[in-house]
Amino acid sequence: MAKREERRMRYAVRALGWATIIFWIFIILFSATAVYSAMNVRMGFGEPQMVLSNEFMVISIPLFINNTGLYDLSELNITANAMDHNGSLTLTSTTLVPLIPRGSNVEITHNLSVSLEEIESWLRTYLFNDTIFNVNMSMKLNFAHVVPFQASTNTTIPWGAPFYNFSTGQISYEYHNLTHQRVIIPLSFENHSPYFGVDGMMHVEMCNASGKVIASGTLNLDVPPAYSKYEDQVELIVDVLKLTPSGEMHFYFETSVFSFGPVVMPYG
Amino acid sequence: MVEKGNTKFFVRKNLPKAFKAALLAVITYLPMYFLSTLASPIKPFFPWYEPLTNIFTVVFIFFLVAGVFSSGTVFQYVFGVVRMLVLMVFLIYVLNGGIITLTVEGTSIMLDITVVLAMLVLVCLLGIAKNVVQAIDFVSGKAETEEL
Repeated sequence: MAKREERRMRYAVRALGWATIIFWIFIILFSATAVYSAMNVRMGFGEPQMVLSNEFMVISIPLFINNTGLYDLSELNITANAMDHNGSLTLTSTTLVPLIPRGSNVEITHNLSVSLEEIESWLRTYLFNDTIFNVNMSMKLNFAHVVPFQASTNTTIPWGAPFYNFSTGQISYEYHNLTHQRVIIPLSFENHSPYFGVDGMMHVEMCNASGKVIASGTLNLDVPPAYSKYEDQVELIVDVLKLTPSGEMHFYFETSVFSFGPVVMPYG
Repeated sequence: MVEKGNTKFFVRKNLPKAFKAALLAVITYLPMYFLSTLASPIKPFFPWYEPLTNIFTVVFIFFLVAGVFSSGTVFQYVFGVVRMLVLMVFLIYVLNGGIITLTVEGTSIMLDITVVLAMLVLVCLLGIAKNVVQAIDFVSGKAETEEL
């Protein structure tokens, strides 16, 4: 009886020993093949493309993944979001790929979609105000269905407004002839953008108190990037009968990079 | 004369054990050494890895040697259990509970190897169970011999 018990014990010990060996072999094999597979995954980005429709602007960034490893990649999630320094969410986009089987080559596009209405609102804010953009990019995926992997990067991009502190000075009125007056409007701004110069035209419209355009003029702009100051004045010939003590000035900008307007400023 | 005989007996009894212990220590140290060499490119990201591994290797080899010298007694299995516990604690600590994080040039990387760690812990638990069963077998065998 005791011998039988002893034999049972030995079987149990032997079984535990074999189980340990099998588990060790499995873990070592899995770890080695996982490292080998991870080294055989190639990722890259293509040339970004921009598509403009009636309501949206879509920036497509092609992304290719070549999985020549031994394991599948699943639940690939790429997220990018940009915020300004206030922390208010400005732009966010997500791309999800459910499965990239082993030995396959997958091409996807990461789309950043922005409504034109939103772009106008951004231009209104960021053409005239400096800020700091906080860009977060993250990529999550499941390696071999059991090892979740995540990589994320956080970058801050200082934004310099190309029309920083855009303002009109004291408007002066000069005699032109019996029916018309010359209105001189001093204009100034600073190009804080380190990336591009402001070269193009600025169209100015003067509206009286009833909102009617009473005079207009155009100024050429050529302001180099990085903290260059612009100071000039625009002269408008106005019909004295239509001129009111107060009203609005409308400014339209046409540059090689963007077109924007009107920027409305009261006078009087 | 008796003293000389005792020394001879002690040497004859322990010399094979010393050889066995030295051989096992070398065999145990080799994978640690190769793993350290293999991990050398990523050492700057884990500065605590090398001193911790050295301490672990010393502790592990100590219990291994103690186990070999106490063979033929129940302490052999006690040291076996302690060795497995040390290995388990080391693995959990060094793998940060299965969540490995590091930052490379502003990019933070997170790897969740909880499943692999669970398998490693299971192997250690199997090792503990094996030693416990062997200890029970040893103690019961000894009790039987004494009864007879």
